Amino acid sequence: MKKPLLIADSHLDLAFNAIQLKRDLTASVANVRAHDPEPLMRSFGTCTVTVTELRKGGVGLVFGTVMSRIDPNDGKTATGMYVQSQCYGIGMGHLAYYQAMERDGILRFIRTAEDLDRHVAEWAQYPNTTPIGLVLAMEGADPILGPEQVTEWYAAGLRMVSISHYGVSSYAHGTGTEGGLLPRARPLLEALQTHGIILDLTHLAEQAFWEALEAFDGRVAASHHNCRALVPGQRQLSDEMIRAIVERGGVIGVALDAWMLDREWQRGVPGCDQVAHVNLEAVADHLDYICHLAGTARHCGIGSDLDGGYGQEQSPRDVNTIADLQGLAGILVKRGYSPSDVQDILSGNWIRLLKETWKGAK
Amino acid sequence: MSNNELLIIDGHLDMAANALTLRRDLTQPVEVHREREGGARRPPSGHKDSPERRKGPLIPEQGPVTVTLPEMRAGRVGIMLSTIMCRVQASGPDMDHSVRTPAAAYAVGRSHLAYYQALAREGEICWVRDIPELDACLQAWEHPSPTTPVGLILAMESADPILGPDQVPEWYQAGLRSVSLTHFGANTYGHGTGTRGGLYPSAYPLMDALRAVGIVLDLTHAAEQTFWQILDYWVGPVHASHCNCRALVKGQRHLSDEMIRAIAERGGVIGMVFAEPMLNLSWVWEEPATHTKAATRSMSAVAEHVDHICQLLGNADHVAFGTDLDGGFGRDLAPTDLDTIADLQKFLRILRARGYGEEDVRKIAHGNLVRFFRDAWGRTR
Repeated sequence: MKKPLLIADSHLDLAFNAIQLKRDLTASVANVRAHDPEPLMRSFGTCTVTVTELRKGGVGLVFGTVMSRIDPNDGKTATGMYVQSQCYGIGMGHLAYYQAMERDGILRFIRTAEDLDRHVAEWAQYPNTTPIGLVLAMEGADPILGPEQVTEWYAAGLRMVSISHYGVSSYAHGTGTEGGLLPRARPLLEALQTHGIILDLTHLAEQAFWEALEAFDGRVAASHHNCRALVPGQRQLSDEMIRAIVERGGVIGVALDAWMLDREWQRGVPGCDQVAHVNLEAVADHLDYICHLAGTARHCGIGSDLDGGYGQEQSPRDVNTIADLQGLAGILVKRGYSPSDVQDILSGNWIRLLKETWKGAK
Repeated sequence: MSNNELLIIDGHLDMAANALTLRRDLTQPVEVHREREGGARRPPSGHKDSPERRKGPLIPEQGPVTVTLPEMRAGRVGIMLSTIMCRVQASGPDMDHSVRTPAAAYAVGRSHLAYYQALAREGEICWVRDIPELDACLQAWEHPSPTTPVGLILAMESADPILGPDQVPEWYQAGLRSVSLTHFGANTYGHGTGTRGGLYPSAYPLMDALRAVGIVLDLTHAAEQTFWQILDYWVGPVHASHCNCRALVKGQRHLSDEMIRAIAERGGVIGMVFAEPMLNLSWVWEEPATHTKAATRSMSAVAEHVDHICQLLGNADHVAFGTDLDGGFGRDLAPTDLDTIADLQKFLRILRARGYGEEDVRKIAHGNLVRFFRDAWGRTR
């Protein structure tokens, strides 16, 4: 078998899965599935992501999130908080999980362009033993108590931040709401920009998206986001949004959640009570769409979100675990992408964005 | 506040676990929580293996809240030992405060620490890590205001979040001052409540490291053999942050008279638990049929445990509060005459009524724990 291509996944919630869902990510997917209690499987689906599967699939670079949001009425996961001090607690716990995984030699933090170069080179040579590279990201900025705390988070390794998630965060309107930035957003964005942290535009409400683009002068991306032209809905990016991200040199990670791929997916019905009608070809459709709109294959990647509150039943039907992301390579080749375009989409574009961002930083 | 109210130190609370796992914003008064949680009830069967629990919500309801920071201030509970709490456990239906791997336990531990840091940043609590900070906090509570920060002595229940002896200095630096090696079940370092057995070999280098930085050991939740193995090896200060007397309530979870004497000989202090399972003479941990759904005992039952220890030792130098009032139960299983933690002042009146002199009441309210930590920290610094 040919050596798998390096894949970068720009959105995984590994720490949330390990801590809030109590999944042992060092075990096999089969083991996690066997141990997940029934109510957890009903809410979060059948596990598709563990470290073993990442390695099997050549997913050597991941953006792992710190994730906790203010959301008192969070009925689905019962993890939404009332105040930011709670989010800070959970967030620091997620950071500590990644640190402990680094101590165990399973992950390693990628903080600088040099770290990244070394990692890519080592992964090419020793794909079975090199720790998986982790870029620390944050989904919803509630764990950042204020702009002055950005320095602490940056020092800990934080390199990409989305300032909202579902609902309204301390900083901005997010998915499912209508509105813009809140007053506290601008000083935070300024601090993020000063530190060279990438602004992740995923989960911003329509108005907040455009306000954030205007207020923020640093590098932007959309870590897990599909195309509204293919699947309608506020959660997806309109053509104007895609063009705006491309103009700013950003990258869009395409997500594997059936809700964002399958027009027939019923949002109100639990994942375990329906089947996705799509396979990985649908993911390629979104990649195609972005490439055509941008006129180049340099602005899209994979942001699978495969452990983001759903499981195998809500993923493309030919995806059993995250290792099956390798299937995308063949699909893209068949669609006429050149080998270098394929490598760019699988990981090269994210690597380039990170290096460009970090070369400009200290 | 009436004049005869005394500062109370509570030797055992799990504030961070309540804030992060049960999503309680502890800066709010109890009424807010009780309304939010909608008169939360326990599941139909309290037994952890019952089908109801297996199908139940991920986060169990734990009875009406009795502990928040405003209630602590109202009851002049001005200093607390509050925990970092997480244990590594095999997968099972009762995973409320456990995770599958040491890495995840470390993470939960750090999340608890970070919550306390955020509270300190807001001025809700203040750190008590050495004698000067202890003195400053005691002084602040001589004339408290409605916003006086509650002092925190950081404790850890189950040492699983400490990934190895090399990590002890990091935890000490972060403020950790008391550790119990075990909790429920057997963990990384040894056997705890509900099991038979002693320490694992990894406990010894860990104890060496704890000793080296000056962290005290909490013997609560040590299995019988673990308890005595620790005392054989450990030469530093020990306490039992939340334990009652086996002479009054049967079961391994409580301290035998020999254990009480051994702790007192070392200058240790025993914190009294305000929970029905620890006060009800017919409650047998292993037999769910004996578990009452509502409390039957009042705070005078706690006073019986205080009496027992004082009579056994011939003094009142080794008893304190270790209420555990937010430790997995609420008003439903707290003493019948306790609505919130502020009612602990009533307990002091009960002691006075039973004939305790004011000096002894003061020792039990806070004096013994102050002495204990002053001694421990004086030795290390």
